[in-house]
Amino acid sequence: MQALTLKDVRFRYPGMSEWALDIPSLEIQQGEFVTVLGPNGAGKTTLSLLANGLVPKSIKGEFEGSVEVFEHPAPKYTVSQLSTLVGMVFQEPESQLFCMSAEEEVAFGPENLAVPRDEISRRVEWALDLVGLKGLNDRSPFTLSGGQKQRLAIAAALSMKPSMLVLDEPAYALDPMGRIELYSILSDLKAKHGMTVIVMERDAEDLVEYSDRFVLMANGRVTASGPPREMLVDPGALRAAGVSPPQMAEVASLINLRRKAPPLRFLTVDEAFAEITINTHHHSKGASH
Amino acid sequence: MIPRPDADSEDRVIFLRDAKFTYESGVEALKGVTLVIDKGEYLAVVGGNGSGKTTLAKHLNGLLRPTGGQVLVMGVQASTRTVAELARVVGYVFQNPDHQLFCRTVHDEVSFGPANIGLDGPEVKRRADRAIAVMNLSDIRDRPPLSLTLGLRRRVSIASVIAMEPQVLVLDEPTTGLDAREADELMAIIRRLNDEGTTIVLITHEMKLVAEHANRVVVMMDGKVVLDSDTRGAFSDLGLLRRSKLLPPPVTQLAHRLSQIGVSKDILTPQELVFELTRGDDQ
Amino acid sequence: MTGFLDLYSEKDTFLHRLDPRVKLLAVALISVLAFILTELLYLVVLLCFILLLLVLARSSYGKAFFALKFVVRFMILITLLWPLFDRSGAPVLFSIGPLDITEPAVWRGATSAVRVGCFATLWYILMFTTSQRDLVRALVKLGLRFDYGLALAISFRFIPTFGLTIESIKDAQRARALELDKGSILRRSRNYVSILVPTIVYALRTADTLALTLQSRAYGAFSNRTYLREIRMRASDYVAMTVVVLILLLPALAKYIYGVQI
Ligand SMILES: Nc1ncnc2c1ncn2[C@@H]1O[C@H](COP(=O)(O)OP(=O)(O)OP(=O)(O)O)[C@@H](O)[C@H]1O
Ligand SMILES: Nc1ncnc2c1ncn2[C@@H]1O[C@H](COP(=O)(O)OP(=O)(O)OP(=O)(O)O)[C@@H](O)[C@H]1O
Ligand SMILES: [Mg+2]
Ligand SMILES: [Mg+2]
Repeated sequence: MQALTLKDVRFRYPGMSEWALDIPSLEIQQGEFVTVLGPNGAGKTTLSLLANGLVPKSIKGEFEGSVEVFEHPAPKYTVSQLSTLVGMVFQEPESQLFCMSAEEEVAFGPENLAVPRDEISRRVEWALDLVGLKGLNDRSPFTLSGGQKQRLAIAAALSMKPSMLVLDEPAYALDPMGRIELYSILSDLKAKHGMTVIVMERDAEDLVEYSDRFVLMANGRVTASGPPREMLVDPGALRAAGVSPPQMAEVASLINLRRKAPPLRFLTVDEAFAEITINTHHHSKGASH
Repeated sequence: MIPRPDADSEDRVIFLRDAKFTYESGVEALKGVTLVIDKGEYLAVVGGNGSGKTTLAKHLNGLLRPTGGQVLVMGVQASTRTVAELARVVGYVFQNPDHQLFCRTVHDEVSFGPANIGLDGPEVKRRADRAIAVMNLSDIRDRPPLSLTLGLRRRVSIASVIAMEPQVLVLDEPTTGLDAREADELMAIIRRLNDEGTTIVLITHEMKLVAEHANRVVVMMDGKVVLDSDTRGAFSDLGLLRRSKLLPPPVTQLAHRLSQIGVSKDILTPQELVFELTRGDDQ
Repeated sequence: MTGFLDLYSEKDTFLHRLDPRVKLLAVALISVLAFILTELLYLVVLLCFILLLLVLARSSYGKAFFALKFVVRFMILITLLWPLFDRSGAPVLFSIGPLDITEPAVWRGATSAVRVGCFATLWYILMFTTSQRDLVRALVKLGLRFDYGLALAISFRFIPTFGLTIESIKDAQRARALELDKGSILRRSRNYVSILVPTIVYALRTADTLALTLQSRAYGAFSNRTYLREIRMRASDYVAMTVVVLILLLPALAKYIYGVQI
């Protein structure tokens, strides 16, 4: 099944001359982990708001085309209804946590959906556990660390039992380990719960290992889309598109420039290690002086 | 390589001696930090969320006063100077430019600092023009800063600080929210400022930037400096980095793995690694 | 900042465990009692009783002292100022220029001061022993519309965040050599603009994200929304409620039925 299908979608903010989104076709499969890469102003945020109907329902503008969420036409549903299919996590953790305890934050969605009390209680425990915040039920979000805040925002979306999570630059301001922890939680959600995950980012580095597919955006358009291996091996093209390439891709392309042998194509440290150790047998001898 | 705290040097611009700081809420954010920064250095301060980087940086221009120990700026006790006085020596660029910008035009915004330190009209204008030129903002000098993109707002906020022509520039996570191109442009400008003699203190979570630009790295963990090293040596202790919630840049991680085939562990950039790997091939 | 606005401290005393609705009722009824009592002596007894509750609430000395400092200052102020405005009665104790200070006015001043002391201390005890979220829950349970309850909860939640942001904005401007209270009036008002504009920008942005977040969490989807935590009255709550009602009822009966001067 397709999780998200866009056809001939265009959206323009009021008073703007350019389309903020202009996407003839975009399809995301159920259970896929997709990273949308693009420079500032590419339309990543607008695309994420489109996925749960906030654009154009709440943020009005000129809109055309069709958006389907798990094969339901989005315009027929309210944002509340769509929120049981699509969980949203915004960039800034601070302003999307508004309750006085972690537990209330996670319970808020199901409460609004009039879910019975013991079911809410189960969901709260389940969601807090999934994001690694078990036992912090009574903590005020204000007192949580940056990474914990972002994970709480994810738990608050998860408790509505969505089938897809859309996250707009969720690793913003997190330390390097915090970023990896966050992405591996998302990856687990995909692997263990079949969650469809869409992450908006501008740096491919930390997401290489987790993504099934990268979608490149610029000026409101999707310029390319494909598995990491196809999308990320050309660092020059990525730079030109305004996104940072993964460092391993740079290493590979620099090596390829200097060798006549078949090109190396690695994206992660593990892959690089494997390929380089196989390809440079002679070197290991030469270097062990 | 690491300047010794007891060495007395003309070049020393900042000296923290066992600086401690506890917030009113009782959080002990600095637990005795000793740090010497020399003129012209490009120092990166790294560490996990909440490790005390921002708290440390706010001591450099007197925004926070140590609750124990000492902070000396240009050899003078910072506690005897007002923030406004220190601002001429130590410029501090906040992480969020929107905490600064309020004027009607970029030019007014950039003139705010120089006017505050009591310079006369022509001098304010000279400095503002220069800062605008340095940050490549000449085309938009009459635009309202709040209507600009984040990348430009960040550059305006930096311009508004360097217009006071400080000798030390502290930048708190200047690349968050910027895309690759904006970040590259910004880092190039900072590089140039450093080449012209400005001491740079860069707080960041981006180890790739650290490896590429800094010449010294201070790692903070839980209110303490746990590592103070030249950049090349900074990524050697993986265990320590991990405990500090950090990871070396991927290329350095790879170099560590490849050390078993003789690659040196202190590689910082893809170029260096590839140079080492292909050295044998050319012969 | 946080400590200043959120007086609640987590403890395990009977006052903390009490149903917040009972506590609200107690605050209301004991306040009424403080109104009914007109004899200084009885009011002092009531104040002592309330101070005893404060001790039982085991609030930290720091917080209690901080709170009481304001109460005591306010009480002293009332005691001193009352006779200046209320000049009825006799005998005149002494005169300051044209002002006659009369003995009954002094007593009335002291009485009012103690009464205000009772009110204020009661509120502090409520704040010390009831978390903001329980307070909001109780108000919603007592019939406050959920929307208003949520707005109240959000305000409570964002007060510290807002405080920190304003501090950060001030710091950011001070780093540009801003000295808030230096210079001419014109200069100073401009200085405040430099704090005000970023604060407003921040508030608007936060409100924007908040609105989107609320919608994404299905806010307002159903009118019969459920609640994870229900507050429920236990036996001890009923006992406490009865005691509180009696505390009001007995003196009221004495005064209005039996005409006892209290
Ligand atoms: N509220 C708005 N009103 C008018 N134009 C807007 C609004 N929000 C976004 N835009 C414009 O729409 C385009 C797409 O913006 P969007 O925020 O979706 O990009 P983005 O990829 O998320 O960028 P960033 O990386 O900066 O977050 C941009 O040109 C932007 O200026
Ligand atoms: N204004 C404040 N009041 C009370 N505690 C604070 C304040 N600012 C920071 N802290 C606390 O002090 C510690 C150090 O915070 P600091 O902001 O210096 O960390 P940091 O290294 O800059 O983190 P980040 O990478 O998230 O910016 C943290 O525990 C933090 O919660
Ligand atoms: Mg965006
Ligand atoms: Mg910081």
